Amino acid sequence: MHPNSIVPSRRDLLCQTGFGVGAMGLASLLSQDSVAAPSKPGENLPLSLSPRAGHHAPRATAMISLFMHGGPSHVDLLDPKPNLSKFSGTDYQGDVHFSFVNRASKKLFGTPWKFSKHGRSGTEISELLPYTARVADDICVIRSMQTGHNGHEVSIRYFHGGIAGVTGRPTLGSWMVYGLGSESRDLPAYLVLSDPGGHPVDGTHNWSSGFMPSLYQGTVLRPKEPRIPFLDRPTGVSVAVQRRNLGLLAELNKRHATEYSAEPDLNSRIASYELAARMQLSASDALDVSRETAEVHRLYGLDNDATREYGTRCLIARRLVERGVRFVQMFLGGQPWDNHTTIKDGLPAICRRTDQPAAALITDLKRLGMLDTTLVHWGGEIGRLPVCEGALDANAGRDHNGQGFSIWMAGGGIKGGMTYGNTDDVGHRAVDNVVNPNDFQATVLHLMGINHERLEFHANGRVSRLIDGKKARVVQEILC
Amino acid sequence: MLMVLTIAGLTMLQGTPAAPSLMFETDIRPILKVYCLDCHGADDKLSGNLDLRLVRLAIKGGKHGPALKQGDPSASSMVERMKSGEMPPGEKKVPEAQVVLIDRWIKAGAPTRRAEPDRLDSGLGITAEERNYWFFQPLVRPAVPMAASKDRVRSPIDAFVFQRLKSQGVDFAPDADKRTLIVRVALDLTGLPPSEKEIQAFLADSGNDSYEKMVDRYLASPAYGERWARHWLDVFGYSDSDGDGTADTQRPYAFRFRDYVIRSVESDKPLDRMFLEMVAGDELLPRPLGDLSPAQVELLAATGFLRMGPDSTAAGGEAVLNADQAIADSLKIISASLLGVSVGCAQCHDHKYDPISHADYFRLRAVFNPAWNPSGWKAPGARVVSLMTQQQRQERTKVEAEEREASMRREAKAQEWIGRVFEQEIGKFPEPQRVPLRDAFKTVAEKRTPEQKKLVDDNPKLAISAGVLYQYSPQAVEELKKLDDSLAAIRSRKPVESFVAGLVEDAGVTFQTKIHYRGDPRQPTKPVVPGDLTIASPDGSRFDISDDDPTIPTTGRRLAWVRHLFKGSHPLTGRVLANRLWMGHFGRGIVDTPAEFGKLGLAPSHPELLDWMACQLASSGWSAKSLHRMILNSTVYRQSSKIVQAADRSNNLYSRFPVKRLEAEVIRDRMLSVSGQLDATRFGPAVVTAEDAAGLLNSNSNRRAIYLEVRRSRPETMLSSFDAPGAAVNCDRRSQATSAMQALVLMNGDFVRNQSAAMAKRVITEAGADPSIRISKAIELGFCRPPFAGEAGMLMQFMADQSALLKTEGFKGDVNEAGLTNLCQQILTSNEFLYAP
Repeated sequence: MHPNSIVPSRRDLLCQTGFGVGAMGLASLLSQDSVAAPSKPGENLPLSLSPRAGHHAPRATAMISLFMHGGPSHVDLLDPKPNLSKFSGTDYQGDVHFSFVNRASKKLFGTPWKFSKHGRSGTEISELLPYTARVADDICVIRSMQTGHNGHEVSIRYFHGGIAGVTGRPTLGSWMVYGLGSESRDLPAYLVLSDPGGHPVDGTHNWSSGFMPSLYQGTVLRPKEPRIPFLDRPTGVSVAVQRRNLGLLAELNKRHATEYSAEPDLNSRIASYELAARMQLSASDALDVSRETAEVHRLYGLDNDATREYGTRCLIARRLVERGVRFVQMFLGGQPWDNHTTIKDGLPAICRRTDQPAAALITDLKRLGMLDTTLVHWGGEIGRLPVCEGALDANAGRDHNGQGFSIWMAGGGIKGGMTYGNTDDVGHRAVDNVVNPNDFQATVLHLMGINHERLEFHANGRVSRLIDGKKARVVQEILC
Repeated sequence: MLMVLTIAGLTMLQGTPAAPSLMFETDIRPILKVYCLDCHGADDKLSGNLDLRLVRLAIKGGKHGPALKQGDPSASSMVERMKSGEMPPGEKKVPEAQVVLIDRWIKAGAPTRRAEPDRLDSGLGITAEERNYWFFQPLVRPAVPMAASKDRVRSPIDAFVFQRLKSQGVDFAPDADKRTLIVRVALDLTGLPPSEKEIQAFLADSGNDSYEKMVDRYLASPAYGERWARHWLDVFGYSDSDGDGTADTQRPYAFRFRDYVIRSVESDKPLDRMFLEMVAGDELLPRPLGDLSPAQVELLAATGFLRMGPDSTAAGGEAVLNADQAIADSLKIISASLLGVSVGCAQCHDHKYDPISHADYFRLRAVFNPAWNPSGWKAPGARVVSLMTQQQRQERTKVEAEEREASMRREAKAQEWIGRVFEQEIGKFPEPQRVPLRDAFKTVAEKRTPEQKKLVDDNPKLAISAGVLYQYSPQAVEELKKLDDSLAAIRSRKPVESFVAGLVEDAGVTFQTKIHYRGDPRQPTKPVVPGDLTIASPDGSRFDISDDDPTIPTTGRRLAWVRHLFKGSHPLTGRVLANRLWMGHFGRGIVDTPAEFGKLGLAPSHPELLDWMACQLASSGWSAKSLHRMILNSTVYRQSSKIVQAADRSNNLYSRFPVKRLEAEVIRDRMLSVSGQLDATRFGPAVVTAEDAAGLLNSNSNRRAIYLEVRRSRPETMLSSFDAPGAAVNCDRRSQATSAMQALVLMNGDFVRNQSAAMAKRVITEAGADPSIRISKAIELGFCRPPFAGEAGMLMQFMADQSALLKTEGFKGDVNEAGLTNLCQQILTSNEFLYAP
């Protein structure tokens, strides 16, 4: 049970029941899981995923991140700019850094879409996100994000690894599971739901554990069955046959372990088989969305071709978090938000795919009582420029913009129904209450119960932190 | 003494209260070096005109008056401004614990260890304290501790280890039994289990030197080269791809470097020679390269070492920055392999913890720059050197002419037959139809009249082409086949062009290396002289390569540098290499941060032993095998791994042999060996891995893992799940994760199931029908020992249960064999199999 909850949550119940592994007779080994020796100063936390306390009481015990690769166009989605529309077609007077200089233009490009106020909070959201608009009172839109870099990879790495452009570092999820372990004994702690369209830009760097052991790396669920590799028993091996196999294996290992009493690794490995066996049962259950009602399917858009795939993954994300998975991140193949040309077609298409499922996740978590302890993040690595790319015609697009853009967060201690920060008059640069990826990370870790300055990893004699010694602030104003 | 210094250094770094009397040189300056000296001492231009390199200069102060008042922290602006967060500017602040130290030190009168010098050279220089750090001490062979004969000390290695053990009241564990020893040695040296024959021969040899002979046999085995090359390839960052983003372009000729390392290790090529070839093999060749002999190809293949790092210059983007990153990564690999310090920390400014200056970093780069040539950077695809000789080229031209001729002959013959068959067939038509038919068929399709089109369509049997000749004339087929054969014979004589990829310095390139301001390649400042790290030479001297070598066509800088490293007196290289060999045997280094021996690394557990081995390595002519032999023949190595002594439970002192999980490659190769499926084919292009239906990357090959393709972004599934190196620049030391993913791979993965089935078949073939013999056989194959008491019975019971169960489940096929497959799988995935004893 979470230290801050009084009644057992749905998550607790699901975590505690239904393993059906007593038959294995290895209950004693399970205790291995919950023993996490405290680390001494200057030492790493134990190489395990046993749950461990953070630095303070957490507001969120799990996080779902809907990562929107490519740079969603904030001025068309979440950051209304009347002046941009008013002066559309005139030349922008400020300095712009272009990525695609051959198609650069300084013509301001007012949004083709209508914004209106939603919910009691009156948060203004574009007509492209009608479902998100319905959960306006549950989300906090941050309109002052800034990476300072316009490139994709450089900003993606900033968001994941803490330093702009640098690879080889553990990602946010790695730090989270390193610091907190996992509440699920049946599933990996850090799961990545990949897209049928392939890897996102920057590939495996998106979930790398960098210089940390691979234990803390994201486990990638494949976009279609089998979503977890090796989860299915081999042909000709029934449940009963496998149970006997594992029984024999346990006997062989037990005898072997008695000869090497001082080697903890041997017992960890025995326990890892236990987890694997439990995963075989529980992971297929967690991934089986057919167990949800037709109403839930409709909520996530599983009844619709446009939303079925993304909706299925959002629903799986919820089922995983329900079962104690610490961090789930969803990616899109390539970078569908990278609307350099014909934004009028490209942007509505990707909104159609993701809007309803993302909003459904909020609605569903909330009615299940899980939103308070589940932090949800929606956002890309950059936004897009207020000026057009190419001619200002039907094929107009927008170039990269890391100077100012929007994301939203919800649940897990985030104040809903608010907007935070501002970009300038046309949405080019964040100007008020600027939030950079390090501030975002500091805030996320804070909500999870971690002080980002105190969570250290020692490798090759070097001490590292997610936000590597830079200044970062917890954005207190958006916490409830 | 060595240990004391190290520990003092580390406590300082961690900011815990140090010895009561704090001194500037030992306790305070290192903190200032990290946070202050960059602006207040490193550069001739002093910020605020304040120099903090000496206490007296701090007292003197700068623009804003004195920075230090002895005895009075509150009147000392240097510490006051740290407390207020004003200094240093920027995001990194002095941790509170260290500010407290400075405060205490000022209160105590800001003492120094010795009188401060009257004048200072510019820059931070190297202090006596920094020079005193153990790793930078000249390499001197330590005296071997004395031991009594009853102490089971077999060698100097034992003497050093035993000295520490004895001081803690611990003894060596007894030697492991012979069976354990042969399994341990075989897995360690060859990455494969001993065969039954080898075990029997060793057990039967009662000679006093049977163990040493067994060690020698495995050292002489080709499998030893394949196993130990893999250790080196980790730190060398070996990869069959460029790591350039999602494309991750393949490096089709990287394998030649892999093969070079295998051959070098196997033949015990002296390490000084091996590294000379790897760092400067191309400098031993004439220019232009001309025809390459096999030995010369090897020298070029060796320089693949300098191109192993990730390289995104093929992917486009900011060329200058990408090339600079590729160079920085290569230098990381070079320093991890040979210097044991993270020179990369000095890319942007002086190293904060070790005495490696910003200039030193670029001096080192200058050694390589004429070859890497950042201003004439070659993209990966442009780096290959053809292996074709002039003679082969001429031969190829000649053969191609013959080929053209033969091909024309064949074509003419076919046409001749087509014509002949056509006439023969058209002859079967009545005379009047022949002319219009002939005209219709001879007219090109587009120009046929409607009548002609109809004629052609109505008479398909006259549409004679080369492809249908066989339906009309066996003789035509026979004649054409003869011509095809001779064409093929000609083609087979055509020399095939292949390539070697490495680093070839162009003759006459004189690249002047300049320091990059803050590490930015677009902002070059002062030029530097190529040379070695200053700290690696005795005080007051420095190894410079002032003049390029006039006797060879290239600059000769790399040759000069690598020769300098292996003179035997270099304090870094010998220690780093000896440590790496030790780590390969024991799973942990004497310095367990094997690429970081500086202040940022871990302290050596047995510094004298390390120094002794480093000296021994040099005096043996850099023979790795002779050091292996010495280590393997020691008592330390032969100890049982089962005896745990309370005073050394975590085995820091080596009071037992450490149990080690096998590396990914060994797990795979051992399974293949036991199942009888191992394909011993050696060398050659990487065996490609492909994505299967389930999206997993594997190969259908049963060759040793070292030959499987290593792609940075697409690691082989089984190997990567057991911690084989992945996308990082290189791998200094393998991590050893234990995860449920590994368990799933072992329970359900195709590879393991296939090997289990093959092992079951092998057992049946070799043991016959008797179930109990089968079980003994399976145990012997898997565990290299006969069954324990009770074990065979348990397994018999398992087999019987499984067969019965499978039968009731309606299993189609041989239930006994299926049961045996299940049994074999549990053997192959058990801890006894996955861990070396």
